[in-house]
This record gives sequence, C-alpha cells and structure tokens, in this order.
Amino acid sequence: MQNYISQQNFNALLDSLISQGKRVVAPRTNAGTVLYEPLANAADMVIDQLPRRSGKEAFFPLCEDIMTYQKEGQKIELQDIDPTRFLETVLVGVRPCDAAAIPVLDAVFSWDYKDEFFLERRKKTTIIGLACTQADDACFCTAVGLTPADPKGADLFLTPLEGGGYACETQSEKGEALVANNKELFAEPNGYKPLPLAEPQTGKFDLKKVKAWLDEHFEDPAWDSIATRCVGCGACAFVCPACHCFDIVDEGTEKQGKRRKNWDACGFWKFTHHASGHNPRDQQPKRYRNRIMHKFKYYDDKFGQTLCTGCGRCIRLCPVGIDIADILQDIDKIEVKVKVEENS
Amino acid sequence: MTQPIDTSIYAAVTAAIQGEAKRILSEGQVTAIVGYAAARRKGSAQPIVISQPDDAQKLIFTPACVNNLAVYLTKAKKEIPKTGKIGIVVKGCDLKALAGLMGESQLKRENLYLIGVPCAGVLGSTIQPDTELTSDSIAPKCTECNERMPPECDFVPAVQVPVNQGLEKKYAAEIARLEALTPQERWAYWKEQFSKCIKCYACRQVCPFCFCEQCLCDRNKPQMVETTPRPAGNFAWHIVRAMHLAGRCAGCAECERVCPMDIPLNLLNRKMAKELKELFEHEAGFEVQEKGPLNSFTDKDDQSFIK
Ligand code: SF4
Ligand code: SF4
Ligand code: SF4
Ligand code: SF4
Repeated sequence: MQNYISQQNFNALLDSLISQGKRVVAPRTNAGTVLYEPLANAADMVIDQLPRRSGKEAFFPLCEDIMTYQKEGQKIELQDIDPTRFLETVLVGVRPCDAAAIPVLDAVFSWDYKDEFFLERRKKTTIIGLACTQADDACFCTAVGLTPADPKGADLFLTPLEGGGYACETQSEKGEALVANNKELFAEPNGYKPLPLAEPQTGKFDLKKVKAWLDEHFEDPAWDSIATRCVGCGACAFVCPACHCFDIVDEGTEKQGKRRKNWDACGFWKFTHHASGHNPRDQQPKRYRNRIMHKFKYYDDKFGQTLCTGCGRCIRLCPVGIDIADILQDIDKIEVKVKVEENS
Repeated sequence: MTQPIDTSIYAAVTAAIQGEAKRILSEGQVTAIVGYAAARRKGSAQPIVISQPDDAQKLIFTPACVNNLAVYLTKAKKEIPKTGKIGIVVKGCDLKALAGLMGESQLKRENLYLIGVPCAGVLGSTIQPDTELTSDSIAPKCTECNERMPPECDFVPAVQVPVNQGLEKKYAAEIARLEALTPQERWAYWKEQFSKCIKCYACRQVCPFCFCEQCLCDRNKPQMVETTPRPAGNFAWHIVRAMHLAGRCAGCAECERVCPMDIPLNLLNRKMAKELKELFEHEAGFEVQEKGPLNSFTDKDDQSFIK
C-alpha cells in the first residue's frame, strides 16, 4: 500500500514512538561522525548521509554481554542475559544497501545455531528504509543485484519527493501495523513526484562469473598483487553491513566478570592464529582472500546469497585504497580471457 | 576563508619520480620501489610495489598520495620482501618516520634508496579522493609543516616548492583550545571521542612505529588490557598508544587519517611531542637518534618528583 508522509509528520511519528518508550535508532551525529544511534529527538536525525557504520549493529552490536559470572569461595554463579528484555525498536532511514544486508544475515544467525540475541532483536525491530538520491564512485549496489530504490529488508520503504516528504510503501505486516497505528500522519499519495534516484558510478560485473573464477582459484598469484599492501586492520569488516564474525572473550576479575561477544575481522593476524602458534593464514593476501571468498563464494555455496550489498564503505575507508569493486571487475575480466583462450 | 593550494609542481614531480625509478630499476640499483599509483576512483591513489623498469610509468604523486609508505619497510609487513636495496618515495613527514626506524635499528640507511618528494601538501581525508586541495581539505599536519623539501635523499626532483602560505596551524590551535579547558571538560571531550572507537586498529596497522611482534593490546595469555570496544578498553588502548609513541611519533598523522570514526588521534601525539620538547628538549625529526627520552636516563632529567 502506498501513502504520503510529510517530513514534519515523519518527525512527529518518530517523536511519538520515542515517547511510547520505543528505541528509535536513526542516523545522527556523534562527536562529528554520522552513526546509527538511538535518538532522543527526531530533530537530531541526519537523514541525508550514509552513516559511517552500517545498520547491522541494531541487531548485532559491536560488543554485547552474553553471560555474567560470580565466584565466592567455592560457589560459582553463572547468569544468562535475558533477551526478552530487549526493547522494541524502530530502525529508521536505512539505505537499501544496509537494509538488504539484514535478511542476508538472517541465514547465518538462524542456521545450525539460532543466535537468540540477533533473532530476538530482529523480531522486535521494524525497519524503515529510504531510497538513495545521491551516490559516489564507491557505491555499487546496482552491480550486486540491488538498486537505490530496492525495498529488500525494509518493513516500510520511503522515497523522497520533490518539495519534501516521502512516498511510503509498506512491505510487511510490521510496516502495515506502523502505518495503521498512526493513520492520522499519513495521506493519499496524489500528485507527488519522486526525486531522481542516485546513480552509482561503478561499472557492473557478473556475480556468477566472479564465483566461477573463485571456485577454481583458491591458489592464484592474483591474491598477492591484490592484497600484499593490505595492512591487516578491521576497518573493512567493521564498517561492512554484511560481515558478521565475532570473538568471545571473558573479561573481569577472578571474582566476577562477563562473557562478551565482540566484532572480529578476518583481516587481523590473530583471526586464525591457533593455540599451537600455527597460523594457516600466515600472510595478509591469504586473509584478504578469505574476505572475498566468504562474500562471493562460501556464503553463496552455503546459503545461495552474496555477502555484499555494494555499499562501498570498505572502499572509502580502507587505509591503503583496496577497492573491492575494482577487484571484482578485474576478476570478471580474467574469466572472459580464460574463455577466449579456451575457444581459440 | 578557503584558500586554494597550488599543486602545479606535482606534474613535474611525477615525471621526475618515474624517470628516476626507471633508471634505478634498470641499472639494478634497487630490487623494488615502494611508491604511489593511480587507482580506480577518480582522483585516487594507492600504495604500489614495483620491481620492473616498465612499471615505473605507473608511479604518480598527487594530493591523494597520503600514505606513509615507511610502514611497508618494517618487520610487521612480512609480505614485502626486504632483500637488497629498496627504493621508497617519501614526503618530508614520512622521512622522519624512516629516521626514527633507523634510530631503533629497524632499518639501515644503506639498504634504502630515498626518492624525496618536494611537497605542497596532501588531503586530510581520501574518503572522497576527487577533492580539490584547499586550506580546508589539506591535512592538518601540512598546515604546520616546514619540511616540504626532504633533506639528504638520494634523489629529489629539481622543482621549486611553494612556501607554506601561512595557513592556520590546526593542531596548535586545537591543542590551545583543549589546554584551556578544565580537566573535567577535557575528560568529557576525550570520553566522547573514544566512545566512537571500534577497535579496528587501523590506526595501529598503518603506524610505522607499531611494529611490535605482538601488541600488548592483542595479548590474551594473559590478557593485558580489555580488548572490548567499551569505555575501559578504549581508554586503555588510547593510553597505551599515546605513551608508546611519545618521543617516537614524528607526526605523519596516518593514524588520524585512517580512523574510520574520525577520532583526532594526532592531537594526542602532538600534545605528547610538545610535552617531551618542554621536559627533555627532545624532538623526533630527520636526525637518527639512538635513544628517545622515555627509554634513556641522563643526570639532566628532572628528578624533582623523587621525594
Ligand atoms: S564488502 Fe564492502 S561494499 Fe560490500 S557490503 Fe561490505 S562494506 Fe559494503
Ligand atoms: S583491505 Fe584495507 S581495510 Fe581491509 S584489512 Fe586490509 S588494509 Fe584494512
Ligand atoms: S606534512 Fe609537509 S611533507 Fe608531509 S605531506 Fe604535508 S606538506 Fe608534505
Ligand atoms: S582507527 Fe579509530 S576506531 Fe580504529 S582502533 Fe584506532 S582509534 Fe579506534
């Protein structure tokens, strides 16, 4: 169902949700950086920029407690965290590349082990997506099968209109409920013109061809030329809406403490460092290879999906300019060459 | 007011670097050269290692050539072979890091062929590399730089560097502002900044001086500091970083440039440098110094704290 909402009414909607005790998470400025964070007022929302980190943290936070322990004499007490206490949340202003990643993550978090933290937050969150009207030459959603107006993952999807306000399209029961409960703020969509959509400036590549090449080239000199310069940080994984590796640590004293789940990154040397001292990924190109393989081969093999939505964050933020879109375009070209050779 | 920065020398600098690189590679004077090459995004540049004379034409110098390439010569970067003599393209600020690494016995001058860059400044951020270099977009370090012509290199293109156009000294201004705050206000400032830290360690990984085999903050047998990106762990990391770099950091500001959370890390480095200058008359510069003030003792050191 399509509706219209003015910017003013949209802010009123968010303020009313906040006053009902809901957690409203939206892009806002924190010490100069735009991040998805809980809002105190709708007026704090910064809707015209892609946040520096992705929307995944509304479900999979950077760091969360998963258990606490206490020890007194011989008595040891373990306490689980109760996910039913998580707040009802509305995640707002989510760009197509961020929203689309969330159903992709559902696959891994509800696979052999059901991650109760992720799934409970997922159940309690309504996602309001937003079409993009601006893109740069790091954006490449259109090359991985999405568009700047793709509602995938959103419960309610907004398209900015000329002269302000949004066209909103409900995408799920959650989205319908949100509109039904706030009917007075929405109007008929008559006579409004959407703003022109963003045009990502990155060339396309064929995901099937990329995967076909990856299937055969776990060992290849290309990995060295791609990633010898990688310095092995966590920037690319941590800003990515689809990366989901985590590490479990126990922190505290001998008397009391917490077990925590923290984001981890395959770029770190420690990621596959065994207790024996052996590291099967002993050099940076092997670590970077995993990043590409996991996104464009392993996740596809296992779940039939691609673990990249083309948001371009890793391209903008890699300290040494490693450009995943460029790599995929190059792989796409290599495969063509192989085929030509075979035919001749 | 935004002033444009004149970077017209960079075309001549690029041509000279290419010529010299080709010559030293074909003559076998070096086995490889670490430099900058153009990348896919408009205006972007990336580090590159070349070993064939024909690849010399890939080398460039533009305002997007921000990286301190010295990081690739450290033992932390095992992937770059360190056999024979290696050429490296260096700006003045990068050269100070090389001098520091020589002082710490990490590199030998005779194993390096230094291609110095006459420098008019680089961008503070390359998130959007196609940005014109102006007094606003220039890296804060460049507003305070007096070493635009790196000394004692093996080769420096013969061009006239434009003088620093009297830009506002961004770190000095910000440090003065922070020093004027009360300790509580300063604490609040850093608390807010550090709250954004995600422990991605990009700042550490690009730092030429972070070459420890295992960073204290990566230890888990036993764990030395909280690894979690929460207030306690974040403060621990930033204090370890600031202290271990005190007297060593010469201000390439790579940590600050790469921080995906825009934390002004070089402010801490500059403040530490200022303190060390006042306390020990020490400054990290072009001179190869064997011992920094925090790992040596002289009878001139202030001992008034011993009571
Ligand atoms: S791999 Fe890069 S471009 Fe793809 S979703 Fe992750 S951060 Fe975005
Ligand atoms: S690809 Fe870039 S962002 Fe990712 S680990 Fe390597 S240097 Fe860091
Ligand atoms: S600090 Fe000086 S040498 Fe370094 S990039 Fe800026 S102007 Fe060039
Ligand atoms: S680069 Fe920034 S976010 Fe990453 S660890 Fe350093 S200070 Fe924290």
